[in-house]
Amino acid sequence: MAAITGIFRAVTYRGREGQIAWMLHRITGVGVFLFLAMHITNVFLMLFPSHVFNSLAALYHSVPFKLLSIFGLYFGLLYHALNGVRVMIVDFWPGAGKYQVPLWRVQLVIVALIFVPSAALMLARMF
Amino acid sequence: MQAQSLSRLRRTGNWEQTAWLFTRISAMVLLVMALFHLLYMHVALGMDAVSFQLIAYRWQFLGWRLFDLVLLILGWLHGANGMRVVLDDYVHSPFARTVARTLLLIITATLILMGTFVVATFKPS
Repeated sequence: MAAITGIFRAVTYRGREGQIAWMLHRITGVGVFLFLAMHITNVFLMLFPSHVFNSLAALYHSVPFKLLSIFGLYFGLLYHALNGVRVMIVDFWPGAGKYQVPLWRVQLVIVALIFVPSAALMLARMF
Repeated sequence: MQAQSLSRLRRTGNWEQTAWLFTRISAMVLLVMALFHLLYMHVALGMDAVSFQLIAYRWQFLGWRLFDLVLLILGWLHGANGMRVVLDDYVHSPFARTVARTLLLIITATLILMGTFVVATFKPS
């Protein structure tokens, strides 16, 4: 219940685009961080006989993990990276803060332009 | 306003300012390295290509080992510093904060040591 109230408050809080941009930056950041912890641990398995790494890789090559890697990791990292660029533009370019909302829209278009074709390619390879 | 607040930050050299600057400098490097890593491994090669043999092949080249090592250290430190900021927003009691930060520090040290060890000592056989 507390979680539902929390989500409701977060979405209805009148921060508009800036708040949504910030929320997505935080969610994708924590997501990539958790993935990275898993990723470094997995690569550590390179020190063991090859079947150890490869049997885990087989799990990652299953459909649910591939979908998660496209719509979670890949989309998440793209959003986080390009939102970071927007944050830096606003930080270092005097006056750019006035245009943070149009900048965010441009950023979303760039994310879509990179994500849609490359995700389509990865999905096409799956089936 | 922006210029004023930036110059005020610059005068008070402190840990938070260094962390703020590190986030942005590492972000610029990661923008190139992490996106390249993902576009290369996931989009160009495809996840099915990832295997012990592929990584063993890549690590025959010192350049790839260095690339992976720099990406690992910068990426993790950027993420850990971000997690520190996130934790501060949600963990308020001094005791819980100390526990959370200590855990984060232990995980950071462990993962960077593990990653550096495997990249530095892996022998293709």
